[in-house]
Parts: sequence; structure tokens; C-alpha cells
Amino acid sequence: MDLSFLFYLSSGLFLGWSLGASDAANIFGTAVGTKMVKFRTAAVISSVFIIIGAVYAGSGASQTLGTLGSVNTLAGAFMAALAAALTIYWTVKLSLPVSTSQAIVGAIIGWNLFAGKPTDVTVLSKIVGTWIFCPILAGVIAVLLYFLVRFAIRHCHIGLIRQDCYTRIGLILAGAFGAYALGANNIANVMGVFVASSPLHAVNFGTLFSLSATQVLFFIGGIAISVGVFTYSHKLMTTVGNGIVKMSPLMAWVAVVSQALVLYLFASQNLQHFLISHNLPSFPLVPVSSSQAIIGAVIGIGLAKGAYRINWGLIGRITFGWILTPVAAALLCYISLFFLQNVFDMEVCR
Amino acid sequence: MFHLHLSLFSRTKALECDIDNFHDKLIDASMTFSKAVKTYLKEGKSENFQKISRDIKKIEHDADTLRRSIENQLYANNLLPDLRADVLQLAENLDRVINKFDEATYLFYVEQPDIPQEYHADIKELSKLTSDCAENMGKASRSFFRDMVSVRDYAQKVYFIEHESDRCSRRLLERVFDSKLALANKLQLKQFINEIADIADIAEDFIDELLIFTIKRSI
Repeated sequence: MDLSFLFYLSSGLFLGWSLGASDAANIFGTAVGTKMVKFRTAAVISSVFIIIGAVYAGSGASQTLGTLGSVNTLAGAFMAALAAALTIYWTVKLSLPVSTSQAIVGAIIGWNLFAGKPTDVTVLSKIVGTWIFCPILAGVIAVLLYFLVRFAIRHCHIGLIRQDCYTRIGLILAGAFGAYALGANNIANVMGVFVASSPLHAVNFGTLFSLSATQVLFFIGGIAISVGVFTYSHKLMTTVGNGIVKMSPLMAWVAVVSQALVLYLFASQNLQHFLISHNLPSFPLVPVSSSQAIIGAVIGIGLAKGAYRINWGLIGRITFGWILTPVAAALLCYISLFFLQNVFDMEVCR
Repeated sequence: MFHLHLSLFSRTKALECDIDNFHDKLIDASMTFSKAVKTYLKEGKSENFQKISRDIKKIEHDADTLRRSIENQLYANNLLPDLRADVLQLAENLDRVINKFDEATYLFYVEQPDIPQEYHADIKELSKLTSDCAENMGKASRSFFRDMVSVRDYAQKVYFIEHESDRCSRRLLERVFDSKLALANKLQLKQFINEIADIADIAEDFIDELLIFTIKRSI
């Protein structure tokens, strides 16, 4: 493997690290914040399942990003990932709900514009549609789950302590599923731009199993996300658990499962094939924002509990983020590619 | 993961068991107290009464041990982290009622009040009401841990019995102070009546708290 490849990949790894640091808090935040699950347990489960999700089921959403714009040089991919990462850093500073998906889509469009390649409007509209649909769907699923859980609690007469025990196990299982779905759905954001230009080869582990070149790339990306989980998500998990969203562990379970289901629906090729084969409407395989999904789920739970006052300020900020993040990433990517090509004399597109 | 599940289930079962036993102690204490008052009124500080008094002391001691065990398990095993403070407060207040039964019985044992026959029926009724009140409080508290839907039913019973106990204690106090007993006797009887009636008041306060915890916990 060429050392320059590692250098170019560093922006993607940085993006993966920041995704791990921020998005693991969406999965295990309340569980760790309320001390239902230890951080170490949460971090190990997140890391393992993020990597499994990324390697096993990450290609679906990645293919969609590839059809939006196939970044065909390593320098171009490096800059697209770096522009996305810097935009995320900036949106975090503005306290907007972070979306790696929107940043990377903006960066790809920036690359398309710079390289003079056409942007597939159909794919773009499909992706933008899911950004709006994703939190709404998470909210709807959360409402349904909330009523299901409430019915079960009221009719099954589960004691308080046993309920606590089941909730704890539920949070661990939901966290594992959430981590798998996050890896499957969001690895495209981290490594998707490198797929077309990656020099990596397939790896065979004897007769046991083999990894394709893309899966090797996703495995490296998965490790970067895991490093983010271990090194920086603890603080965010405590904040999510105690500060921003104050929820009971049971409601946290509802929110995490809703978010994980949404991410899974937009990432699973098997599910898509199943739905198509049964002539049912299928979900497009698109990377979506786990932060926005969990906000949708929390709003859904709030509405189901009878809190009819919607925080329009928060919804306004999400909408503002939808517009600001991709536009800023596209602009930043376009300007950076210009400098990379004309000042550093590097080939950013073919 | 398998080990985690197993140990979590066994810890949960152990805590459930201790909480159940703790509630049993409250019900034991309330019934034994009612029996102690009846025995004292009938026999005075007899051997039988002294044995009942020792029984209450033992119940109180066992309840303290169970309370400490519950507290230790909650913290050491990190159980019920989100409502640990509420459970601890409930356990403390349940224990307070058991202590109060012990104190009241001990007061009979030490002071050996001279209670005229004409007040016996009312004092028996008051101690029965107090005992019922505490018993229903224990049932409400147990329901909080087992089946929250029933908490309200028992709470309503506690409110009703506490009201009855108030009426009974007021009636008794009026009768005592209207009588020709010596002031020292009147004051001593007042102390005993208040000591018994206080238990129902504590039970009422406990239920107020319990209902708030139930609302907090309901989804």
C-alpha cells in the first residue's frame, strides 16, 4: 500500500473519528448518561457492531453516493472528505444538529461542479427527500413504539425492578442494533468518496471468508469510527444523557430503536430486495443523519406523551442545517479543489 | 453477554426478594403492634406483652438490616440508577413507620400508663385504624414495585383510614381532657394517643410521596 494513500485517506479517517465521537452518543447517550450501561460496555459494543455493519452492509448507501458523483482521484476524495469534516466542525460550533451525510453530499456536489461532471438530479432529489423524510419517519416509528411499550407495561404487569433489568438489556441490544445500522448507513459518508479511487485489494482469510477491496476500505473506516467512540464520545454521551434530552431509560430505548430502524431501513440491501421482490415500496439506500433521526424520535415521543408544544426553534435550526451544511461543504470543497489543483498542482479529477 | 444477563437477573431477583421481605416486615410490625396494644390493655405489662414487645424489636432490627441491604445493592450493583433516590427515600420512610411502631410499644413497656377502662375501646380502635393504615401503606408501596396500577386503590384506602384515625384520636383527646383525671394522667394519655395517631399521619405523607413517584414513573 502506497504511503501517499494513507495521507489522502487521513481526511476520511478524521471524518470517521468525528462521526464516532458524535453519533455514538445518539445510540448510547441516555444509557450511559443515566448510568444504565457502563461507558466501556457501550464503547466496545458500539465499535464491534459499527465495524460489522460497515463491512457487511455498508455498500448499499455507498453505491447511491457513487451515482451522485464518482470522485475518481485520491486528491479529490481527500479534499471532499476534508471539506465535509471542516463543515461539520463549523456546524458543531454553531450548535446545529450535525449531519455527516449532508456535508459529504455537499462536498461531492462541489467536486462535481469543479470537475464539470453532471450531478444526477434524480439521485440528488432522492437523497434530499430522505433528509426530510428521515426525522419524520423516526418520529412516526417512535410514536408507534411508545404506544406498544405503554400497552405492554400496563398489561403485562412487569415489576419495577424487573422492568429496569429488561430495559438495561434492551438498551444494550438496541445499542448494538443502532451501532450496526449506523455503521451500515454512515460508512458511505466516511469512505464513500474513496471507493472509486482506492488502490486497496481484496483480502482472503483462507477458506473462512474474504473481504472485497471496498469492504477493506470500510473496515479501515469502521476502525476510525471506533477510535472516535473510544476517545471522544464519553463526554458527549454524558451530555446527551444528562443535559440536552432528559428521558427515562425506557423512553431512551424507544428513541434508540426508532433511530436504528430508520438507519437500517435506509441501509439494508436485503430488506430492499425483499420489499422489491414482494412488489412493495422500498426505501432508497441513502446515508441519513442519525442525529436528526433521534431528534425526530424524541419529538415523536413528546407528542405521544401529550406535549403538544413543538419546539419550532429546534425544527427551524434543523431546517437551517439542511440548507447550510451541504451548501457550505460544496463551496468549501470547490474553493479547496481550486487551490489544490492550481497552487499544489495536483490532479483532483480525471 | 450471557454472563452479564445471568448476573443481572440474579441481582435483580435478590433485590426484588429483599424489597418484598422489607414490606413483609412492615405488615408484621403493624399487626404485632395492634396485638401489643390489645394485650397491654387486657393484661398490662405481662409476660405475654413483654414477648410481643421483643417481637416488634426484632422485626424493627430485621427491617433495618434489610433496608441497609437494599441500599447497598442499589449502589453496589448500580440498580435502578434513574430512580434510586426515590427508592431510597421510600425505604427510609417505610423504616420510619416500623421504628414508630417499635417506639410506641416501647413507650407502653417503659411508662406502663394507667389507662381507665372507659378508654380501652377507643384506644383499641385507634391502634387498629393505625395498623390498617400502615398495612395499606405497605400494600401501596409493594404495588409500586410490582404493579403500579393498584397503587391508587391502596392510596385511597390509606387516606380514608387516616381520616378515620384523626377523628378517633380527636374524639379520644376530647374525652380525656373532659374527664376528671389528674392533669399528669391526661398529659400522659395525650402523649400515647398522639404517638399512635402520628403513625397514620406518617403513612399519609408517605402515600403523597408515593403517588408523585408513581406519576413520575408512569409512561
